[in-house]
Amino acid sequence: MKGLIFDIKRYAIHDGPGIRLTVFFKGCPLSCWWCHNPESRSPRPERLIKTVRIGEKEFQREETVGRQYSVSEVMELVERERIFMEQSGGGVTFSGGEPLMQAPFLLALLQACQEQGIHTAVDTSGIASRAAFRRIIPYTDLFLFDLKHLNDQKHRLYTGASNRLILENFRMIADSGVDIWARVPVIPGYNDEEEQLERLHRFLRENRRDNIRQLNLLPYHPIDAKYGRCGIEWKMGQLEPPSRERMATLQQFFADTGIKALIGG
Amino acid sequence: MELTKRVHQLRTQSLQAVEHITAERAILITEFYQSPASRNLSPPVKRARAFEYLLRHKHICINEGELIVGERGPAPKATPTYPEINLHSLQDLEVLDSREKVSFKVEGSVKQAYQQQIIPFWQGRDNRSRIMAAMPPEWHAAYRAGIFTEFQEQRAPGHTVLGQKLFHTGFLQLKEEIRQSMEQLKEHSDPNAPSKLEELKAMDICCDAIIHYAVRHAETLEQLAKKEKSITRKRELQAMSAICRRVPAHAPRTFHEMLQHYWFIHLGVITELNPWDSFNPGRLDQHLFPLYQHQIDEGSLTEEKAFELLCCFWVKFNNHPAPPKIGVTAQESSTYTDFCLINLGGVKDDGSDGVNAVSYLLLDVIREMRLLQPSSMVQISRENPDRFIHKALDIIRTGFGQPSCFNTDAIVQELVSQGKDITDARRGGASGCVEAGAFGTEAYWLTGYFNLPKILELTLYDGKDPRTGEQVGLPAEPAAAFSTFDALMEAFTRQLRYFADIKIRGNNLIEQIFAQQLPAPFLSLLIEDCIRNGKDYNAGGARYNTSYIQGVGMGSITDMLAAISFHIYEKGTFTWAELLAALDANFEGFESLQYELLYCSPKYGNDDEKADRHAIRVFDLFHDAVAGNPNSRGGVHRINLLPTTSHVYFGSVTGATPDGRGAGKPLSEGISPVQGADRQGPTAVVLSAAKLGHLRTGGTLLNQKFSPLFFEEEGSYEKLTALIRAYFSLNGHHIQFNVVDADTLRDAQKHPELHQGLIVRVAGYSDYFNDIGTALQEEIIQRTEQGGMG
Repeated sequence: MKGLIFDIKRYAIHDGPGIRLTVFFKGCPLSCWWCHNPESRSPRPERLIKTVRIGEKEFQREETVGRQYSVSEVMELVERERIFMEQSGGGVTFSGGEPLMQAPFLLALLQACQEQGIHTAVDTSGIASRAAFRRIIPYTDLFLFDLKHLNDQKHRLYTGASNRLILENFRMIADSGVDIWARVPVIPGYNDEEEQLERLHRFLRENRRDNIRQLNLLPYHPIDAKYGRCGIEWKMGQLEPPSRERMATLQQFFADTGIKALIGG
Repeated sequence: MELTKRVHQLRTQSLQAVEHITAERAILITEFYQSPASRNLSPPVKRARAFEYLLRHKHICINEGELIVGERGPAPKATPTYPEINLHSLQDLEVLDSREKVSFKVEGSVKQAYQQQIIPFWQGRDNRSRIMAAMPPEWHAAYRAGIFTEFQEQRAPGHTVLGQKLFHTGFLQLKEEIRQSMEQLKEHSDPNAPSKLEELKAMDICCDAIIHYAVRHAETLEQLAKKEKSITRKRELQAMSAICRRVPAHAPRTFHEMLQHYWFIHLGVITELNPWDSFNPGRLDQHLFPLYQHQIDEGSLTEEKAFELLCCFWVKFNNHPAPPKIGVTAQESSTYTDFCLINLGGVKDDGSDGVNAVSYLLLDVIREMRLLQPSSMVQISRENPDRFIHKALDIIRTGFGQPSCFNTDAIVQELVSQGKDITDARRGGASGCVEAGAFGTEAYWLTGYFNLPKILELTLYDGKDPRTGEQVGLPAEPAAAFSTFDALMEAFTRQLRYFADIKIRGNNLIEQIFAQQLPAPFLSLLIEDCIRNGKDYNAGGARYNTSYIQGVGMGSITDMLAAISFHIYEKGTFTWAELLAALDANFEGFESLQYELLYCSPKYGNDDEKADRHAIRVFDLFHDAVAGNPNSRGGVHRINLLPTTSHVYFGSVTGATPDGRGAGKPLSEGISPVQGADRQGPTAVVLSAAKLGHLRTGGTLLNQKFSPLFFEEEGSYEKLTALIRAYFSLNGHHIQFNVVDADTLRDAQKHPELHQGLIVRVAGYSDYFNDIGTALQEEIIQRTEQGGMG
């Protein structure tokens, strides 16, 4: 079985516990304005034109983003990194794009990892059928689950989809007992207004389970240059990242949900 | 713990002192060699009498407030010269005085002494002249072309570390051992008895000389005590005087005595000659711990007092820059650092965890003193706790380049596989930059850097140096005729063996010159079994005698071969003719080809077999060309992989190379990947590096750069500890982290005045960023910023 992958990052240290190998699936049902991986959106390989320089001389080079990997190809890389995973309590993270868009391939990889005794994390937008989630839950040790906006209208506007299915899936996974790290991007002026924060706070409080291990507040970073290369419109303008103080305030705000709030991660 | 006022003052004095040349030693040694007393003596006795003369007449320097006394020169950073080893010309003195980096002030009076007394006597009689005259033409051709350097050209061998025995032995006891060794000689009929007796006599003279030197300090301290107004200081001076009467004649009984004991020994070694890596107390935490523990229990020492004493001890090292180097030696080792690398942690004799309270105390000292010298490292064994590593990371994260991290379990295996006793191996560690040795029992001499990429360059050019047109190597088939990749490798192997043989033959001649002309009877007292063997340290008297050749540019040559193999023999991207034309033009007009080489070729450091298999092959070829060849001291040659600053020098004499590197640019350092070529992160770097046969070397050097932001994240220590442990479980020898961001370095280039204290990791040692050359500054900036935190 093969799947479309646009990058595999070794020594990934922000995608779950320990030192990890992160496999980025290509293709995503959402189109978040602030997405860090715009090249992951299309579920097909893409050709990009890159301008490179040697000294004064500039060239155009064509690059293909995305290639088909077999399960065993991915597992060979996993095996290479295993020593670091074992030393650090790390593992493999499947990210994207949306890994559940290639659910059978994801399932095969998760099963292969479990067979090898390797810790697995799935970094998901939450957009996938309940059935797809149900199938992978037994083979997943940790979900990194994005909560982008609690207001459905705004969620539709900024991401192109409703948040209803996302929130349902979140509850289902929370009830399943599998570990969750809830991840909230902090986009100043987009999802950090008082009302949204209150709703998020309430949602987390209401759905609090012991297996929701932490809340990661991820500060926005402008990455407009990448959008130019991919030919995708950058809608965020000159938005400044949230200040350190602002992030600290938010961390404080979520402190009493009973879930450990962290900046970054 | 915080620095006391006294330590603050001593530290400031050391930092503000300007490196300058003192003619004191040069004048004294010349006086002695000119005196009738020096005539008709055997070489060892003559050197012993010279040592005695130096210690009898050199100025006794006691700095205000200090607790550990003794300076090599008349003042902090007053740096002596060694005209018997290398006679500086007036022009050399001008260069030292005026050069931009690693300069030494030279007063008019020094120049005058050189002109009137020192140069007239030593002209043509120094050891450098002797060595250069003894080397055959092919050696000179290779040396000129930058195929290798010669360590013993301007300095004595040294390259050793004090072991456990001398921390618990006084020189009166050594005199007794000498007497016994002499007795043995009388009882057995030994054909070498006369020369052995001369050697032992020389050692005996040195014992008296060092004891007397300490007594001179005691006397000066007493005089100072008499004049001293402050009661507290008066008592200190009296106590210090008593210590100088006790050690090094007798074994030290207290923490303070042990530090002073070592320091007299250190001064003896660096006054006798100018040995490489100065001298080194080695496993300092192991040596100090029993006395520390005893005195703490007894109540005669507090942690604070021990801390202050160690700080005073630290200042002493920083007061002693490396003796001035010129020419190629200055280029291969361009730094004030004199490579005293203090070892912490590791294992005890029985192989169990050696980390103790003094290990942690020393880490505090390193952090608070933040001095260039001494260098420091942590030995990390499977047995050592993570807490120890985390404490070291507390310092590493501040971007100071110390301590570096070494794999005890690998070092022990390296030493045991060389045939050493397990206890000797466990008492060892790493010294200099990364060199594995059995402390107190081994003379492990580095003999010179070896430019692997240059040899491949010569292979491509028919044995001719394209820079000069000189036929330096063996004439070989022109590159165009390399019908297969293996044919190229065969041609490379021939050239590699040719140059390795030249270097080894040269080494053996030079070792004999030192054995015959420049014995080191004082150093011989310190390293076992010189006394028992009645044999000088420089003549193979030590228990173990190893000679190393240090391979440089492993990453560069790997990428060169990988690009050739991939593009010419596999893909047919271009032909030999096109590649050579591009190299000849330094890629001007061939930018697209250069791009292929730089960005579309397999690169070492990415855990990519297409590149790494070449690293393994070159390693094996280099190893087999060198290892096992006998040296002239009863030991053998071995390899290690480290550069100091020679990768910059070697790069400067090497043209454009098939890895896309421009002519004259630095080569890769140690076994680190080419600067910027590692694109898969540190785990891939570590896996590539671990493929080399570390255990068959005497040390490898791997540098990794981390952004300071990395350390701010939760769990970063655990992740870095895991990276270190994983690399070490794969037998990696050494890893060092340079923690500083590129912006800071660029700013320091623009505004050096704002970054005077900025210390960075160079290669196996740290240096002030402002003191290293521009090419090296650029190279350090380029090294990949790992961790994806940019």
